[in-house]
Amino acid sequence: MHPLERLVDLVALLLDSARPLTFDEIRGRMEEAYGQEDVASAKRMFERDKDILRDVGVPVEVVATDVWEVEHGYVIPKEKYYLPEVNFTPEEISALFVAARSGAEDDAAEHAVRKLLYGAEGGLLTGGSARAPFAEAGLVDARLTAAAEAVAEQRSVRFGYRTARGDESERHVDPWGLVFRGGHWYLVGMDRERGDVRAFRFSRLSTVPVPADEAGAPPPGFRAADHVQVGPFGPGEAEEHALVALSPEVAWWATKDLSGVATERTRPDGWIEMTVPAAPGEGLASWILSFGPDAEALEPVSLREEVVRRLEAILAEP
Amino acid sequence: MPSPERRSGTKTARASERLRRLLVIVPYLVRHPGTEIAEISRLFGVTEEELTSDLNLLFVSGLPPYGPGDLIGVDIADGRVWIDMADYFDRPLRLTRAEALALYLRGTALAGTPGLREATALVSALRKLGERLGPEALGELAQRVEAAEGSRPAETLDAIRGAARDRERLLIEYYSASSAETSTREIDPEEAFVAIGNWYVVAWDHRSGEERLFRVDRIKSVRATGRRFRARGLAGLGRPLYTPTESDVPVRLLLHAGARWVAEYYEILGSTRRENGDLEVVMPASRLEWVARLVLRLSGEAEVMGPPQLKERVRDLAVRTRKRYERSSSIDVEVTKPPRGRGRYRSCHDHDPDDMPPLRGSGHGTRIDPAVGDAGRT
Repeated sequence: MHPLERLVDLVALLLDSARPLTFDEIRGRMEEAYGQEDVASAKRMFERDKDILRDVGVPVEVVATDVWEVEHGYVIPKEKYYLPEVNFTPEEISALFVAARSGAEDDAAEHAVRKLLYGAEGGLLTGGSARAPFAEAGLVDARLTAAAEAVAEQRSVRFGYRTARGDESERHVDPWGLVFRGGHWYLVGMDRERGDVRAFRFSRLSTVPVPADEAGAPPPGFRAADHVQVGPFGPGEAEEHALVALSPEVAWWATKDLSGVATERTRPDGWIEMTVPAAPGEGLASWILSFGPDAEALEPVSLREEVVRRLEAILAEP
Repeated sequence: MPSPERRSGTKTARASERLRRLLVIVPYLVRHPGTEIAEISRLFGVTEEELTSDLNLLFVSGLPPYGPGDLIGVDIADGRVWIDMADYFDRPLRLTRAEALALYLRGTALAGTPGLREATALVSALRKLGERLGPEALGELAQRVEAAEGSRPAETLDAIRGAARDRERLLIEYYSASSAETSTREIDPEEAFVAIGNWYVVAWDHRSGEERLFRVDRIKSVRATGRRFRARGLAGLGRPLYTPTESDVPVRLLLHAGARWVAEYYEILGSTRRENGDLEVVMPASRLEWVARLVLRLSGEAEVMGPPQLKERVRDLAVRTRKRYERSSSIDVEVTKPPRGRGRYRSCHDHDPDDMPPLRGSGHGTRIDPAVGDAGRT
């Protein structure tokens, strides 16, 4: 008997049965598979088959079949086996296919879509062969998957983290959200030792997150994405605005990705004056300096001074 | 006596793979009777031979001990398949947690990519998954995962993708971050793709007579030429974004703590960590302009170790930039106090600035500046 045939029969038997079946009962029903004289070897084969079923995701459960819990039976609860009814339009299922195939190969995501195909109404648009124009290899890796599981199960996580400045430390975090932004995944949550909400970029996690105790809940109205912000000023909340002038060479693209930017006027020489959100810190001056002579800080005066001070420092170098 | 399975681990592995497949394909066929074998093979990533052999085995399977009507009926005719008597397989197996998470995370990331045609359908599909899959699949995750509003897609994206599809030559105005100049050139765009949150197009550049990679949001304007081209088979999706060239100059920078992100943001050839924590990196650059602007931006946090031309370049850039501030006499640098301190502001924020990526809005907002535009040779 072919192993596949045996496995299919076993699933059908346990799924169809109204009550848990003991090994002896299974053996009696599947004589061709487990009926050999050596019971111990038959049992071993059955155990291996059961492991394969679980591996594939079939929920085989073991329950006591008598009140003294002497006998055990096996069953596949229907409500845990069958996929709930979810219907998808051809556009939706095609999009899921594209997503599953984005970046690195991932069998799990493809298996997922293939199960969902069942609920596809009227076939597929792309024939299931389209791929995403998406090159992030390893985007969904072990670190992200482990953190996602912790979020799903509401467990806190411990992991090693290396900041952009190169400082490495162990963190213990209540994971409150996962945010994808600008090509990177971030974990946002309460850093227990620091007593503060932090955003961690997954590429800087030096270890795979390990689940710990039950996670604390986020405050009502918490939005993880609010904590992964990038502006011309770097991270932080905008508190005031600054006025900058940009040359025509860079003005058309420099503020494309920013929000809260307003064009004030276009000068006769083609330069464009814009107000941009300004957060405290040195990020805004760095941003302006990155354009070299194609940008000028106008207001506030403190910003102009900061830019000039930094230029002077460079010019003062030997 | 060892069982046949024990002797053949691969046979068992193959059996589990085939079982996984069957538990999905059979319900699909029950729901979609008469589907073509070719279609099934395409949808489920299985060859027609494998599929036929699976179905033949299924033919002798069923509900033990196989009473009347307990065997699965498989009917193959004219390249189409019908299945009946498989009531217990009339719906597929649930998604495992790993499968649900993998798909949901990938879907969320893709939906967050600017300018994607599939985004609307993807968002509604993900919502259905979150609502219908049940707590044991996604748990709390559906409420806790999101793609932050990213950059808006470039206005030129549609034209570029259309031209790549139709093999049409374009005339573009392009701002090159590596030279900090805008130029006009004719390109044959072959493939547009996304990497690190940005759209790129790989094209044949007629100005240089070479293959180039362009960042789509730095293409200022696009004009159709009405001329078609024959694709040269340039590598698109999955290619390394930075391609070394023979004219690359190794640039050496000393990065203090505040500039260490440079080492992970840009392509580097090597790095040495000093005892005080500073990082000495060697980076490839075929043009010095972008490096000079980077150094200006990092002022105070990075030092140029070489080559000497780069030092001159930075100095020259600083002089020209400083000139912009001369028209105002209100600035007296000598008496200006050092501005607002880092520490003071860091502590009053919810975030650790270290956990953030470098600015993407700047001219250096890509990990691969050296390869964008003029330097992207192959």
